[in-house]
Amino acid sequence: MTFLNAILLAGAAAFLIPLIIHLLNKRKVITMRWGAMHLLHEVIRQRKRKMKIEQLLLLITRIAIPIVLALCLARPVLTALQSLGLGSSSLIVMLDDSFSMRAPAAQTTLPGGTVMEQARQDMQTMLTDLPKGSSAQVILSGGSPRKLLDQATTALDLVPKKLSDVPSMSGPLSANDAFQSATSALKDAPNAAREVLIVSDFQEADWKAIADGAALPALENLAKQEPKPQITFYRVGSDLAENLSIASADISALVAAESQPVGLRVRIKNHGKRPWQDVAVHLEADGARLRTARVSLAPEGEAVLSFTHAFEKVGDHSISVRLEGDSFADDNAFHSIVQVRNQLNVLLIEGNPGKDPLSGATDFLDIALTPHTTAAATLKDLIRTKKIDARKLREEDLRQQEVIILADVQRLQDRAMKDIDKMVKDGVGLLIFAGPECDLDWYNREFYRKGEGLYPSAIKGYARADSDATPARILMQRFTHPAALYFNDARGGRLQDAEFRHWFEFTTQGDKVQRIFNLDRNVPLMVEKKHGRGRVIAAATTANAEWSNLPLQPFFVPLMQRLTTYLATEGSAPAWQLVGTPIRLNIAKDLLNAEYTLRDPTGQTQKLTPRKEGENILLESPPIAQPGIFQLTRTGSDKPTFHAFNVDGTESNLKALSTADIQKIATRHEASFANNLQSYQKLDRTRRHGSELWQPLLIALLALLFFEVLLQQRIAKG
Amino acid sequence: MATLSDILQAEDITSLQHLQLFARTVVEGFTTGQHASPHKGFSVEFRQHRPYVQGDEIRRLDWKIFGRTDRFYIREFDEETNLRATIVLDASGSMNYRGQKGVLKFDYARKLAASLAYLLMSQQDAVGLVTFDSKVRDIIPCRTKISHLHLMLEAMVKTTPGKDTSLAPVIESLAQRLKRRGLVILISDFFDDPAALLQSIGVLRKKGHEVIALQLWDRDEIDFPFGNWARFENLENDDDFLLLDPATIRQRYLEVQKNFAEQLKDGFRKHQVDYLSLPTDESHSAALRSYLALRMR
Repeated sequence: MTFLNAILLAGAAAFLIPLIIHLLNKRKVITMRWGAMHLLHEVIRQRKRKMKIEQLLLLITRIAIPIVLALCLARPVLTALQSLGLGSSSLIVMLDDSFSMRAPAAQTTLPGGTVMEQARQDMQTMLTDLPKGSSAQVILSGGSPRKLLDQATTALDLVPKKLSDVPSMSGPLSANDAFQSATSALKDAPNAAREVLIVSDFQEADWKAIADGAALPALENLAKQEPKPQITFYRVGSDLAENLSIASADISALVAAESQPVGLRVRIKNHGKRPWQDVAVHLEADGARLRTARVSLAPEGEAVLSFTHAFEKVGDHSISVRLEGDSFADDNAFHSIVQVRNQLNVLLIEGNPGKDPLSGATDFLDIALTPHTTAAATLKDLIRTKKIDARKLREEDLRQQEVIILADVQRLQDRAMKDIDKMVKDGVGLLIFAGPECDLDWYNREFYRKGEGLYPSAIKGYARADSDATPARILMQRFTHPAALYFNDARGGRLQDAEFRHWFEFTTQGDKVQRIFNLDRNVPLMVEKKHGRGRVIAAATTANAEWSNLPLQPFFVPLMQRLTTYLATEGSAPAWQLVGTPIRLNIAKDLLNAEYTLRDPTGQTQKLTPRKEGENILLESPPIAQPGIFQLTRTGSDKPTFHAFNVDGTESNLKALSTADIQKIATRHEASFANNLQSYQKLDRTRRHGSELWQPLLIALLALLFFEVLLQQRIAKG
Repeated sequence: MATLSDILQAEDITSLQHLQLFARTVVEGFTTGQHASPHKGFSVEFRQHRPYVQGDEIRRLDWKIFGRTDRFYIREFDEETNLRATIVLDASGSMNYRGQKGVLKFDYARKLAASLAYLLMSQQDAVGLVTFDSKVRDIIPCRTKISHLHLMLEAMVKTTPGKDTSLAPVIESLAQRLKRRGLVILISDFFDDPAALLQSIGVLRKKGHEVIALQLWDRDEIDFPFGNWARFENLENDDDFLLLDPATIRQRYLEVQKNFAEQLKDGFRKHQVDYLSLPTDESHSAALRSYLALRMR
């Protein structure tokens, strides 16, 4: 502890005054010859024990008053909290740059600005307040956490400049990932005194589970670092309560034929407490408005709108839905790309051609992929199938195919396997169905090849539901795979109706393999892995009705069509991506030296050049920072490709955690919490310079004076 | 030694001349009157004339007025009875307290006793005096002669406050000694055990005596105004003392004092004893006047 006015401490000697008065009073005793002694004896008898204690308390109180007064005037500073000396420190800022930070800032703090702008402005002040020689690093925590600077910098004025380029369009903040990145950045911090500052709007969608007690191991790990960093939660908030957004949108087909109607189902959500009437929702195709629908939304309600549109020309087309009305407009649109093709060639290789109708391994698949052709309808199918016996497969059968489907194939000839492997690496899709003919030993040894082969997973063996047991069903959960998104809405089909009696038991390993669907026995039904420029999907069941009734379900047709078109379009751009992710395209090897121009929705352009990555040639853009349709054109070519970007729907609900909840999280992790810049600065001063104690001392002095009066009155009352 | 003039001053005598003390109850005495007193008194006082009405006794006609005016008038008289009043004066140690205003409690007490004696004697009543501390020290029996007053005053002047108080046994022994019923006037601070005191008062009342209790308080004993640490030494016992900060116990002292006074007042009321609390900083004659006014209601 230090004192700003140490000389005034001498005033503490004033405690002697009441003590001396007390002693003098005792010495200056007068003698009274008194008659009413019996009354005095009665008084003393009643309060003899209390009197001594009260007298002592009164004396102590009177002695304490001048001491506390002197301490108060001397302005003591408690330095126990002072962090590791007065020198420089390293500040790691975990800045939430998720989309919700673009909401309007609270009117009281930064009228007309966004929450991110407010955060930037506050951070600038915080950085200015840092002692000379301090360093700073910023982890942009929305979506995938990433560093703002390659390494921590002592040029603190650089940070706000860099921050001004941050668009705050990332997806939801993953707190654990962000803290992991902060821990890693902390290891590079040049100063011994280290601080971690979490700047966020503490959107409920990102933080509620943590407030409710979910573990945050990365933060616990961060807090255990030596020397221990000072952790502070800093909230920047919006007072916007009303927001409309397009929560999700599903397209009926990722690839369509000319004149084939494409359905677009849009879910519009009202996150606010007020109802909305007749909100205009526009459908746009290739930048032109086609029609407008109107929708009314109850408080915190949602509405689903369906549009259809048929494109006449082959090529990439953009389709958008845009709603009007609210002040937070960035999440009011949804964009997608639809590929329109003449036809899509699919090769069906069956291991067990059946003699009877629908008994073959690919019979149901054939119908599902070409329903109009099978039904001899006038409508045209996009997909054109070619069915072939695995044992009779020739090299020329594989030519011009965009998707290859294997069903119940016992094993492939070495040459055929090599050809298919090469084709997949060049971007062709491969879908493999299980079946009783499959040679598991070959599948594991040659086809899977410890993860190096085509097959995405090792197979543990056959599994079955006993005849009297309940059959396995698809586990209904929120599907995230692009080919499965359509089935998140019950109108896409009841996946849980399919019953499975036999299946391959996959033992999936590694993060390269993605599960598309699971069975309710906690085993995967379909898994996918990337192989070169193409993708391979393995299904644990048969494509016919031998092991399940899956092919008999109405949703079998859209499911197979979506899986097939998904595999067929893998080489090209996805229908849409989240803002914050880059455009990544595997391109032909001869285009390594080509130059590309990327044009954003506002008309700004930038040049992109491909680079070599392993065996592939990769064209990659910087992370895309705004939603909308982007146009990528190769110099010398007149056929641009389109890329659609949308914001993450979960960011649209702006409801934030309460101050008490944030405080709870902070307390649980031995961190501090600041609700505004002033409280942060106070906290920072306390840590850096110690805490001035004159205020609590003044309160203590007043309390002592008050206590003295009360005690005096009490003693006088007896 | 105090002289007689110290005790009774001229202005006291003048102020007391107009006071009238009336006994409430019938006592034995030298009386004449219309009511059923066993003794005929000779102290008869003319009140007024009134016209004769049919039925009046002929012997009460004033024949001198008839001779002068030729009209019948009746003479009306007030009847008086003689009183035996015993003044009991406390001369214990506690009466030796001299307060911050310089008044000695015992001085005040004997002035009061002298005033009463003079008043009673001027009405031809028989007055006696008893002084006591832990026991009866002097007894002067009731007499009506004016020379008797001087005897009592001399006794008062000679008396100095003693040590211990023991009021209850004194009153009980007094009850045995006073053979004829009369008025007993107690002048004391009554600093004794209230229960024993009231019991002895009960004995006195059973003997048929009317009792008047005049309790004397010094202002210091009422207000307890002391600020500094003090050693309180008992006036009645040199070995008894208390060292304390008076300010810290003042409030509680006032409560205890008030309770003590209330206890006595309630006890006296139960025994139909007239009680008056007299602070010594007030003029004793003024205090006595207010008491007499109360008695005359």
